Amino acid sequence: MKKQFQAIVVGAGPAGSSAALTMARAGLDVALLERGTFPGEKNMFGGILHRMASIEEVVPEFWTAAPLERHIAKKGTTFMTGEASFHVQHETVNFDHAPYNGYTIFRPRFDRWLAEEAVKAGATLITRAMVDDLVLKDGRIAGVTIAGRAGELIAPVVVAADGVLSFIAKRAGLRQPKFDAGQMAVGVKALIDMPREVIDDRFGLVRDQGFANEFVGCTGGVRGGGFLYTNYDSLSVGLVFHLASLRTSAKTPYDLLNAFLEQPQVAKLVRGGRLQEYSAHVIPEGGYNMIPELVGNGILVAGDAAALCNATGVNLEGINLASHSGILAGRTVVEAHERNDFSKTTLKRYKERLDLSWVMKDLKGFRNAPKMLHIDRIYNEYPELVCSMMEHIYRIDGTPKTSIPKLIMREVKEKVGLKNAISDLLTAWRAL
Amino acid sequence: MNIDEIFDFTSFTIDREPHIVLDNQVCAGCDNRGCANSCPARCYTWSEAEQKMTFVYDGCLECGTCYVVCHKNAFIRWSYPRGGFGVAYRMT
Repeated sequence: MKKQFQAIVVGAGPAGSSAALTMARAGLDVALLERGTFPGEKNMFGGILHRMASIEEVVPEFWTAAPLERHIAKKGTTFMTGEASFHVQHETVNFDHAPYNGYTIFRPRFDRWLAEEAVKAGATLITRAMVDDLVLKDGRIAGVTIAGRAGELIAPVVVAADGVLSFIAKRAGLRQPKFDAGQMAVGVKALIDMPREVIDDRFGLVRDQGFANEFVGCTGGVRGGGFLYTNYDSLSVGLVFHLASLRTSAKTPYDLLNAFLEQPQVAKLVRGGRLQEYSAHVIPEGGYNMIPELVGNGILVAGDAAALCNATGVNLEGINLASHSGILAGRTVVEAHERNDFSKTTLKRYKERLDLSWVMKDLKGFRNAPKMLHIDRIYNEYPELVCSMMEHIYRIDGTPKTSIPKLIMREVKEKVGLKNAISDLLTAWRAL
Repeated sequence: MNIDEIFDFTSFTIDREPHIVLDNQVCAGCDNRGCANSCPARCYTWSEAEQKMTFVYDGCLECGTCYVVCHKNAFIRWSYPRGGFGVAYRMT
């Protein structure tokens, strides 16, 4: 195996492959390392692949060439208790034609395709390669070593795109040595097989339309939420939990997932489906406040490794931020090669680029969203409040009705307390 | 859905050596053991009788939950499996 490259990218996920593609297109000799037997083998998400304007520039035929599933034309949110649910939904023709706003995808297919694009551009993809250390020379990063393989891979610059736990960023001293469980979540997902026609009929979809739904109040009091996404002929259904809340709950993710799937309103949606695959992964949900140092001498950090994930509770974005950061990291490395300078000072241009982009602007703008999502009442009291209020409004049983404003006041006082409600409203207002 | 079945639908290529190794002294003295309930793959089991935490690595989804929730840093080793080993998602 060749040992010397102009750049090494650790991790062939959306961030790493976007970085490798950008550098290879500019003529750099790039190694793209992946610990799986193929890119995407280790990767899971909810999830939606949102619009990625920057990858469309690099790969103009992106939306027709990439292996995508349904486009998301319909989005819903369901507030639920054990017995009741209140559902709101948005649908627009504007999300039903190209350029689409988002797609469902399968990561083992999509990530593999994106890595292949980098290979087509000239990058060297090395699979089954788990990087276990950085090579340091004169106080700067000069390459990596791979577990179980002799020798070193040498390059003047390394892009750490090795995922949420980024041991590369840790080794380079760029991230905190210990994560705060309050800034992390874990997602668990069941992939459920279902005939295409059944999905179309059940969710009111035609052509390649897809549906995405979030659920609140379905996590047994643990901070978190549920999701359901339609693929062509399967559903991705699962739950996300905040780890600080899960670890003290004495509840298990799989029991809660099972209870979620058995909740009467959800059971109807998955009825007849067959389980195909169960998966789980940690998500960096701390937002702007948990972003590590993004550059060092000879190193840049991108994607989940840089905690570039925007979980506001309304939209859940990650791959689009990862890919954009990878492209910006790639461009910065190309520039560094032109100057033949891989010092932190030169690579800082990556951080400046990110700061000027929508990635950091969004993360900064929603920097208070994690605080809002730590309000425990969102996950129990508010769904109960909404469901109970709606039941009172809709119930007609021969007794006089309470006026709706009076009913709202009564329910709010009873379920959460007026003071809490006002404080939560303010927190949410600031967050969003 | 049957919970026991849920784990049977994920594929693995199992290595000979565990990629995560615990320091049992630390686990025995832990006041939380959030790993045991938080692990989505049911890899951690605390035995009250033996005062011992057992970690079964061959069903590990490499999700990172235990790495984050363990506040005692009980890991003698926490790494991903060697390249080519471990969980292999097909379509998730």
